[in-house]
This record gives sequence, C-alpha cells and structure tokens, in this order.
Amino acid sequence: MALIEVEKHEVEEQKPEPVRVRGLPFFPHFLLREVVVMCLIAGGLIMLASIYPAGLLKPADPFDTPSPIYPEWYFLYVFGFLKFWTWNIGPIPAKMIGVTLPMVLWYGLLILVPFIDRNPSSDIRKRKVAVALGVIALIGILYFTYFSIVHH
Amino acid sequence: MTLNEKIYKWLDDRFKLSELLPPIVKHPAPLNVVSNPLYCLGGTAFLCFLILVVTGIFLAMYYKPTPAEAYKSVEHIMTAVPMGSLIRSVHHWAANTMIAAVMLHMMRIYFMGAYKKPRELNWVVGISLLLITTTFGFSGYLLPWDQLAFWATKIGTGIAGSIPVIGGYISLILVGGNDIGAETLTRFFAIHVMILPIAIATLLGLHFLMVRIQGISGRL
Repeated sequence: MALIEVEKHEVEEQKPEPVRVRGLPFFPHFLLREVVVMCLIAGGLIMLASIYPAGLLKPADPFDTPSPIYPEWYFLYVFGFLKFWTWNIGPIPAKMIGVTLPMVLWYGLLILVPFIDRNPSSDIRKRKVAVALGVIALIGILYFTYFSIVHH
Repeated sequence: MTLNEKIYKWLDDRFKLSELLPPIVKHPAPLNVVSNPLYCLGGTAFLCFLILVVTGIFLAMYYKPTPAEAYKSVEHIMTAVPMGSLIRSVHHWAANTMIAAVMLHMMRIYFMGAYKKPRELNWVVGISLLLITTTFGFSGYLLPWDQLAFWATKIGTGIAGSIPVIGGYISLILVGGNDIGAETLTRFFAIHVMILPIAIATLLGLHFLMVRIQGISGRL
C-alpha cells in the first residue's frame, strides 16, 4: 500500500506536459504492470521448483556409461540431426556435416538474417518467403528434437 | 517542505535529477506493447536472468568445484543447507525458462520483422545473447558432477570437438586436457560464474541501450 501511495503522490506532482504521449507512461503505470507480471513469473518458478526439484543422480563415474544420456532439451536437435544425417558428400564425412550444419551453419545463418532479408516491409502479408522459411526452420528444429528422442 | 521533498532536493542539487528522471519516467510505452503479451518475452528472460544471478550467488557460497567435493557440496545444498533445495531448484527452473523465453522472444522478433533497418545490429546482439544463454546452460550442466552431468558433457564437448578447423581448439579450451576431469570442472565453473556473466551483462546493456535509442518496433 505504501508503494502505491508514493506513486500516487508522484503522479499528482507531475504537471501535465505538452508532450505527445501515445501510450502508457513508463512510470508508474507501465512499471506497475511489469512488477505484477514479474511477481506472477517468480511465483510460477517457485511453484515449479517446489513441485519438481532439480535432480541429482549418482556421482560421476568415468568407467560406467549410463544409458540413456540426454543433453539439455535445447541441444536435442543437434543430436537428432547428427543421427539423421548419414550421407557422405564427396570427401566430407557424414559426421562432420551432421555437426557443422546444426551448429555453425544454423547460427551463422541466424546472425545474418537482417542482412539476408532485405525486404523493407514488416507487414507479415508482404514477406511470405521469410515467414515460410521461418516456419520451415521451426518445424525442422522440432522434428530433429523429436527424432533425437525417438531414435535413442 | 516535507521529508520527501527535502531528500529529492538534496539529490537533485547533486545529480540533476530534474533533468535526468523525466525522460526515463515519462517515456511512454507504445500501446501495442502494452496490450500484446508477446512483448513480455524479453522482459521474462531478463527477470529470469536476475533471479539466476541472485540464486547463483547463493549457490556459489556452498558449491566446491573439485571432482572430490562438487557432488558432495551439491548434495549438502539439497539436504542440509536451509532453503538450499529451493534455491537450487529455482536456479534450475529459471535457467530453463530463460532459454525458452529467449527463443520465443527471437521468434517474435523474426515473425514480426522487427530486426529490419535500423535494428540489424540489435538482432546480432540478440543472437549472441541466445548463444551465451545456451552456453550458460551447457556449462552449468556439468557442475553437479553427477552421472548425467559427466556423460552429457563428454558427448557435448565431443560434438563441439568435431567441428572442422576450430573444433579441436574449442574442445581443448573447454576440457583443458584429454578427458573430462578436475581441469574441466574448474574451467566450466570459471566460465559459468565469471566469463559468461560479464559477457551477458555487457551485451544486455548494449541490447537495452539500442532498444532505447531505436524504440520498440511499432507495427503489429
């Protein structure tokens, strides 16, 4: 309550300015909303942490390979692609392609997106190619993630 | 003059608050940003980052980065340290949520075309932040020194090591020898708690500064 009162006080203090305001003032309106959202997320995290605590398996043993070994979920697509790609291209071995494509080439392409896509429009109807490529990439990542779980 | 006004005046005389604050405080948030929940994703990632810093500092007070002590110290955090299990679990969930939020944030920027002129470089910084965030996850995965940590890192560094040309160097820098061991653990710890935090703080500063200068992409 004290916080809200301070904020009200501040609002009263601000004299109406001849600035064109086309949205919500950052303080206190927008910030208050942000704080509410932040509390919800923090509460959700604490709830998740209480229901599903972080795990701890047996101590590391270099002489005992467990099965299955899963990486973090956001690397699964790399494993999936590595398993998926079994074809050598000329002198380049399949494994090298399987590693390079999802890591180096994928992130290289991602970084260059604004320089590849020179279409100035940000209207989704006028950038069908970019949207189609994005959807294909998304489906690809999801597919290889799925692939890595199924073909373990 | 009330106490508040006195404090404000004292600070104003020294830091020119009346010049400094209005552009921050009165800066309007565009209405489409206020009404569309998709614009929360970047902020969610940042909130997770702040939670990770706080919980991470607490974990670092009890964690010992040696093969003999690492597992025991994490076990100690989970069973004996007051609130230790909660702190570590929140760290775990905030990390996963942060990565998910960063990825979804990137997808929003992509499909809304918000990376276009003049925001090209902020996209580049954003992808670097995504890379740093996943490297955070990768380096943090080893620290508990349990079976999953050890073997997932063995495979992960193996894959990084088979990238042509640079792979060998990456693997050597990460592992610090021929096999995952004490050297690897201290390296991953240093990367996780010193190198990456400095890198991400710097890039986050740039990221927010550019958003501030260029504004949030307006069209929906």
